[in-house]
Amino acid sequence: MNYFQLLGLDSQFNLDTKALAQTYQNLQRAVHPDRFAHGTEQEKLLAVKKSTLVNDAYQTLKNPIKRAEYMLVLRNVDMPSEQVSFSDNSFLMRQMELREMLAEVKHADDVDAAVLEVTQVLEAEFEQLFKTMQTQLNENTEAANALACENLRKLKFYQKLHVELDKLEDLLFDD
Amino acid sequence: MAYSEKVIDHYENPRNVGSMDKDDPQVATGMVGAPACGDVMKLQLRISEDGIIEDAKFKTYGCGSAIASSSLVTEWVKGKSIEEAGKIKNTAIAEELALPPVKIHCSILAEDAIKAAIEDYRSKNPQ
Repeated sequence: MNYFQLLGLDSQFNLDTKALAQTYQNLQRAVHPDRFAHGTEQEKLLAVKKSTLVNDAYQTLKNPIKRAEYMLVLRNVDMPSEQVSFSDNSFLMRQMELREMLAEVKHADDVDAAVLEVTQVLEAEFEQLFKTMQTQLNENTEAANALACENLRKLKFYQKLHVELDKLEDLLFDD
Repeated sequence: MAYSEKVIDHYENPRNVGSMDKDDPQVATGMVGAPACGDVMKLQLRISEDGIIEDAKFKTYGCGSAIASSSLVTEWVKGKSIEEAGKIKNTAIAEELALPPVKIHCSILAEDAIKAAIEDYRSKNPQ
């Protein structure tokens, strides 16, 4: 049984997140270890395992990036290990530029405006890549899945940029 | 996680940070990235007519180990031929910096950056 089946969903990228959260809560209530507090050791252990599984399924499907990665695994797409270096030159050049842009923010005359600008640029580029990946995942052909995999790897760089942006904001505005 | 003294030294005093003109035919540029951590590394080499690396610069956005790995590599490649530089292995980098297993990918990134730069040089200067 895969995570989609466990949570009663079709194996599709676009999913009803409200329904997902509802099913998760119902399942979690049914298998919660507290319900088995007076049970045997075996029952307690089983409840913990089930609860963990339900939780893993929910955390994976809730997050679009993790969901995409999970779907590609289910489709047996040959994913390069995360340790394999990425060498798309123009993409990496852009990543350098974005990192430099981020590094310049704290020297800007108007820091608020600079933060807003970077945020908008990052969001727009993420959104564009994300939509492309979404279309490719829905297409679900061998070629489209390979392209989705490539875009998923690119999206991870944007996730990292987002983390860096959050750190920068904490540094700038958190007194 | 504790960084080794060598990593801290390179992190605090990175050698050869900077950029060269990527359009210069004698400048080789290697760009690599690690999706796992979002690190981006640029290594540039100035290569003489007879294939010797005269200068090296790097710019890395990433963790201390990634910065130390690229900084170390710029020191190692200077004065080497491109053939010799191409033989530098990530294991040697990891060993020199005493990188823990979770940071081995930083040394792989640095090795891949050398290879990418050499490839760029060869495509610019076909034999």
